[in-house]
Amino acid sequence: MSELDRRDFLKLVGASAGAAAAVGCSDPVEKLIPYVVQPEEITPGIPVIYASTCRECPAGCGLHVRTREGRPVKLEGNPEHPVNQGTLCARGQSGIGRTYHPDRFAGPMRRGPGGELEPLAWDEALSLLAEKIQANPSGTYVLGGDVGPTAGSVVDRFVTATGAGGRVVYDPFAPEALRESTRALFGQARVPRFDLSDADLVVDFGSDFLDVGPAPTEHARQLAQARDVHNENGGVRLVHVGPRLSMTASNADEWIPAKPGSEGLVALAAAHVALRERGGDASALRSLGHVTPADAAARAGVDAATIERLGRALAAAKRPVALPPGVAGWSRRAVASAAAVLLLNHALGAVGRDVHLEREPAGRARASHREALRLVEAMNSGAVSVLIVHDADPLYSLPAASGFGKALEKVDFVVSTASMVDETAARADLILPDHTPLESWGDAEPRVGVRSLLQPTIRPLFDTRALADTLLDTGRAMGLGGQLPSGSFRTLLEQAWSGSDFRNALARGGEFRPQASGSAPVPSASAMLQVAEPMLEGEGDFALVAYPHSLLYDGRGANLPWLQEIPDPVTKVAWQSWVEVSQATADKMGLKAGDVLAVETSAGRVEVPVLPRGGIRDDVVAIAIGQGHSRGHYASLAGDGQPGETRGVSVLALLPSVTDESGGRAFLTARARVTKTGGFQRLPLLQSTDNKRKRMLGEALPLAVVKGEGHGDGHAGGHHGADLGPVYANEHAPIEAYDATADSHEDSPYRWGMSIDLDKCTGCSACVAACYLENNIPVVGEEGSVRARQMSWIRIERFVGEGYIEYVDAPERGRRPQPSNEVLGKTDVRNSPMLCQQCGAAPCEPVCPPIATYHNPEGLNGMIYNRCIGTRYCSNNCPYKVRRFNYFDYSQFNWPGLFNLMLNPDVTVRGQGVMEKCTFCVQRINAARQGAKDEGRPIGDGEVVTACQQACPSHAIGFGNLKDSGSAVSKLGDDKRGYHALHSLNTRSAITYLAKVTRDVES
Amino acid sequence: MPTLVGVFDAPGPVRTLADKIKGRSLGELEIYSPSPFPEPDAAIDKKPSRVRLFTLIGGLTGVTFGYWMQIWMANDWPLVIGGKPFTSVVPYTIIGFEMTILLGGLLTVLGLFVVGRLPRFRLDKGYSPRFSGEEIGLAVTCRDRDVAEVEALMRDSEAKEVTLVDA
Amino acid sequence: MTPPPAEAVAARLASAPVASDSKINRDILSVLDGASLKYWGLLGLVVLGVAQAVATLAYQTYIGMGVAGYSHPIFWGVYIVCFVFWVGIAHAGTLISAILYLFRAKWRNAINRGAEAMTVFAVVTAALFPLIHIGRIWKFYFMIPYPNQRGLWVNFKSPLLWDLFAINTYMTISIVFFYVGLIPDIAIARDRSSGWRKVLYTILSLGWQGTSRQWKAHNRTVLHLSGLATPLVLSVHSVVSWDFAVSIVPGWHATIFAPYFVAGAIFSGFAMVLTLLIPVRRIFGLEEYITDYHFENMSRFILLTSTIVGYAYGAEYFIAWYSGVEAERTSFFMRALGPYWISTWIMITCNAVFPQLLWFKKLRTNLPFLFVLAFLINLGMWFERYVIIITGLSREHDPAVWGTYTPSLAEMSILVGSFCWFSMFFLIFLKIFPVVAIYEVKELAIHENAHGGAH
Repeated sequence: MSELDRRDFLKLVGASAGAAAAVGCSDPVEKLIPYVVQPEEITPGIPVIYASTCRECPAGCGLHVRTREGRPVKLEGNPEHPVNQGTLCARGQSGIGRTYHPDRFAGPMRRGPGGELEPLAWDEALSLLAEKIQANPSGTYVLGGDVGPTAGSVVDRFVTATGAGGRVVYDPFAPEALRESTRALFGQARVPRFDLSDADLVVDFGSDFLDVGPAPTEHARQLAQARDVHNENGGVRLVHVGPRLSMTASNADEWIPAKPGSEGLVALAAAHVALRERGGDASALRSLGHVTPADAAARAGVDAATIERLGRALAAAKRPVALPPGVAGWSRRAVASAAAVLLLNHALGAVGRDVHLEREPAGRARASHREALRLVEAMNSGAVSVLIVHDADPLYSLPAASGFGKALEKVDFVVSTASMVDETAARADLILPDHTPLESWGDAEPRVGVRSLLQPTIRPLFDTRALADTLLDTGRAMGLGGQLPSGSFRTLLEQAWSGSDFRNALARGGEFRPQASGSAPVPSASAMLQVAEPMLEGEGDFALVAYPHSLLYDGRGANLPWLQEIPDPVTKVAWQSWVEVSQATADKMGLKAGDVLAVETSAGRVEVPVLPRGGIRDDVVAIAIGQGHSRGHYASLAGDGQPGETRGVSVLALLPSVTDESGGRAFLTARARVTKTGGFQRLPLLQSTDNKRKRMLGEALPLAVVKGEGHGDGHAGGHHGADLGPVYANEHAPIEAYDATADSHEDSPYRWGMSIDLDKCTGCSACVAACYLENNIPVVGEEGSVRARQMSWIRIERFVGEGYIEYVDAPERGRRPQPSNEVLGKTDVRNSPMLCQQCGAAPCEPVCPPIATYHNPEGLNGMIYNRCIGTRYCSNNCPYKVRRFNYFDYSQFNWPGLFNLMLNPDVTVRGQGVMEKCTFCVQRINAARQGAKDEGRPIGDGEVVTACQQACPSHAIGFGNLKDSGSAVSKLGDDKRGYHALHSLNTRSAITYLAKVTRDVES
Repeated sequence: MPTLVGVFDAPGPVRTLADKIKGRSLGELEIYSPSPFPEPDAAIDKKPSRVRLFTLIGGLTGVTFGYWMQIWMANDWPLVIGGKPFTSVVPYTIIGFEMTILLGGLLTVLGLFVVGRLPRFRLDKGYSPRFSGEEIGLAVTCRDRDVAEVEALMRDSEAKEVTLVDA
Repeated sequence: MTPPPAEAVAARLASAPVASDSKINRDILSVLDGASLKYWGLLGLVVLGVAQAVATLAYQTYIGMGVAGYSHPIFWGVYIVCFVFWVGIAHAGTLISAILYLFRAKWRNAINRGAEAMTVFAVVTAALFPLIHIGRIWKFYFMIPYPNQRGLWVNFKSPLLWDLFAINTYMTISIVFFYVGLIPDIAIARDRSSGWRKVLYTILSLGWQGTSRQWKAHNRTVLHLSGLATPLVLSVHSVVSWDFAVSIVPGWHATIFAPYFVAGAIFSGFAMVLTLLIPVRRIFGLEEYITDYHFENMSRFILLTSTIVGYAYGAEYFIAWYSGVEAERTSFFMRALGPYWISTWIMITCNAVFPQLLWFKKLRTNLPFLFVLAFLINLGMWFERYVIIITGLSREHDPAVWGTYTPSLAEMSILVGSFCWFSMFFLIFLKIFPVVAIYEVKELAIHENAHGGAH
């Protein structure tokens, strides 16, 4: 045994110490990779913005794609774009996820003998497709959505060149009935555009224009503009006619809960009354049959007086606009209903003034449901050998009863160009993945005069190819090069735009000419349409209303995490399907939220948890379209594109395959039988009650009070909401005025503040999506949402009325809601965004032991993640409950696939165990500060735009410097509607809410 | 010098004996008892224990340090917290108080050690386990020539027995 | 030649045999010797209990606090409940040894050692929970004001920081107090033990030999420590109560909290003393030392504090109603009739109703009854904290985010673990240190003899 002498000992000690030290600093070594040749337009740290176009729905909003170091990190509205004018809805913003999605196809794939997908090279794939087509050209069909004029023309050229059987354009929500009604009434097919900007009375016959509508961002903006309380007679009145309190109805001043499908009757009757009142030629109405108010009332299930009143109001209004039924109202009689509403508009002189019957853009592909059904027949008959499906998921979104699924089996060779897996792609034999919109060239023409461009904002992440190029190359592979345009799709695009300045168009996002307002055509009495009940199929006590989910649209949003995570703006349910029944029905059947119901129609049966509401007719059950996918990381329970359990149910499985008079698609088609299964499923309900218990949240004031008549008069223009004590009905009257500008360091020129106008907020949740995407907020999924563990920094609280104080709570465990406060036919819904109030006397600060949250010199309530140890005391002491806790290390698993590339580099990704909350987008404040500093001036008003403010389609959110008396937010702060949430707690909040204004619909 | 150890059952006689021996200044006294007995202890010295001094010092240091620490730290890097003043005396009172008690307590125990001469590593010769039983011991260290006298005195005052250690 | 007197005397004085040792020593020290198989079994069981809790904690630290039942906005749960519960338990010990000492309530001598031990172990248990509770346990030291390169200090305005200081002060002082009281008894054990015990006791007794100087310093020390501990024991649970009272949560924000919590703490503390001493006295046959008289006095304390706590419950509801603040009223109505009504009624019956039976003298000395009652009180007091914390947070200012909370398996595992942790220490204590303060009992006994002799 060798002796260990002193030297060796010392060496050993040294070595071990060194080792210990080495182990100690175990942080991963990170390298900065410089650009070898730096692209001149890219400065690391400075975002580069590209103009493009949103493809999430046909509205065709303009995008500003914010890219950092070559990666798109956020989508915002293009201010120059006439449709959305700089705002963007939740769906549009979430579209960015498609590019980085874990479900994307890495390249072309074919179905192997074993039935599993195996990759192959593009040229192989194309030649394979080529030979399949050559085998039977006439048996080849192209089925897909609208891909814009240029790509569309390429598809058409391909179809003609190959002599394929045909191209079927497919869009589940195509407004065919409306187009058809214009043809019937005015002789020419048009898709009317409704402009609400200057209206003083808007009657929505179930179009739900704020939910999905033809262009939700545009209509929200116009409504907000028309609703400005400073307009003469205090802003537009909105009346909603429809069976359930949808998001649009929630924003209405009056809700007429007519039976589903009876909107046409009400419209016609109202038109008669209006004409009687203001005098006018009712001959046009005759073509739709004569309907008296009493008659209509009886058939629509409302009382005649209401319709009379509506008619008189329409007659009295200076600029009334009526909107025709939307998806949920499309029945067998859809065309007639639409026609009735158009006639009403005509009778009121709105056509040509606020209702524009413009001709459709030339390139606009018309989706036809009848065509789709014909294709299904052809497939069944075995006439279809090759089916190329692009930009659509018909297997999901066609009614199951149409038999598309079965027919698909009869097709020899199914090709899908989906860029990520969906139901149809999962059945395809060959997958030729398309770029995502952010990787693509393209154009769109939502309406005449609006030509909008798509341009790539990132190099394709995978081995994908544009649809048009795929088809061109296939054609060439078939030796049809001669009959096809030469060059790539990009060159074709430039040719298509040769008439205009392409570069400039790229910079601006397109070419926007002032829109020619359409002439007002005269109705030809020729149309013979019968306005009548919807004629529902099957038995059952309930009419089944299938309405588009305002976030999932036709189901295409279901695989985007944020759209699943953000609760439905009306019911506040996330990640799940639910069936809405009336409170009365629930009481009759002894139902509580979450009890599983079996809903049965002639077409099918689903089991789905129930959500009782006050805001729905007793003879109606409603289920949202959009859930019930069997594929998709987020859309299904299986995830990872594997087949598996569906998340929620698809109401489309319950709908018989029915068309309207014109062969357009009908959704209001079935009666439903409803039975209790005895099961229970805890719904992810993100709001426990809509009863605000008269507390100072989501306030509303009668128009009279705001106008200065009635009490609360004599506004001194002093401090925010200070003198409104007597005005508000709740017991938490403001205690004392305070000067929020005193809450920042005296040397600091800034005290950041926000104003939120509840009169404009529609609850659409665009701000929530914006916050998720700007601030790298993780999504917690269904399980997390059930436990109310959502991380959103801003949430929309939806209160109904002043509420009532009821001390006794149902002694139940679990996050079940108190009975809904909604009442049939009443709408006093206050949507109130709740986010960190950046209090001057923040209750969260003094209780934090390690000073992880403090008040910064500019008046912000700073949150220091590194310093936080997670005592969670701050959240307990926050009366607004806007602080969130990182229950797990979300940074590790919350951004699967390439989502991490999408993270905003300006915002820390929070680690496990720390609190987080709204920062007033401090990163944007700092960006603005740098800009101002370079020019040696203070930050000007409007230079800092928070993510939520930027997205808000109705511009309800204002942000700025309270110390600058000239800033918009300071001025708004002095608005007499101003108040502070829970003012009586004296937190010296920096956010001034402007109370919603309740207006009566005079007649 | 020799040490005589007398063993007694009751404190009373010990007291009188102790006084006698002290009175005649026959030698050094030490009393071992299983539990505190005020009377004989008084015979050793009458002054109240100096432990209280330690407590006082500890308490004063504690309260001063407590307040100083908080006020200094709060102003060393002044951060506005909940719109409250940097030097908020009222909330600081709590930790000021806790520090008083803490240092007061700890120094008191230090006092015990100093005054009680603890810890000690060797037990007295005169000490015997029986004194942690129920008997009381009186150890007298005296000059050789006084041994007999002391013993006699012990015997007179009901000493159960007397032993001579360390002759 | 005549021999010098000293030798002469020495020759005469044969060192006599040590008289038979005192009965008190034998009785009480007998507890220490020979651990039975049952004892080892029990000890093994609780150690297992601790082990599983440690495993859970490791898992929770690794995975994240999500494994606990937290759901927005209820961010404090079972861990904080346990913290307050154990801190509360820790109060009886100091109360008995300090306050009763100042009041010269001699009867305390028999029970104070057990009570002090309980206090120390309870604080040690309680002190763990804030750490178990926080989201980043590995960064707990951010709460400590130590000079660091970030130049950042801590927030002395935060009740949690007051807690940190209060709990640690209390822990230090009770341990010191406990040890000071132990020194003479360790010396006794030292004189009567052999082997490793001899070594251990020799070290721990610091060479104590009961000289008058030592006794004098010792008395003075105990007196002063009692003087310091008395305000301390009252302050600690007040500070804990301010964790709640200082916030603006309806149902927490109440001035009554401090006295209410202190009374509750003493209440639960005495209950825990009963829970421990009743079996101990029976198993080790200490009936002579821990007598019915002691139990009756403790019962009186329980009766008193139970009445105070009951009054506080009433006062809370009255103020909630009288304040006219809707949020307060709602919070309290929800307590009694909302999702947590069961917990609330357990708390009220166990803490305010059952103990009232102690008005009957028979019951005050009926040990089986007291044992059951003590258990119920512990249950009730745990639920008191549960009700205050959970119902308060579940019904706050913003009705849109009212929530509910259900404890998770992880929390249950650590809850069980905490009881095992506590019992583990107490079991070990039983076999190492005298469970009754020998020298203090002797003080009584010998004094009686002495006076007896005088008469």
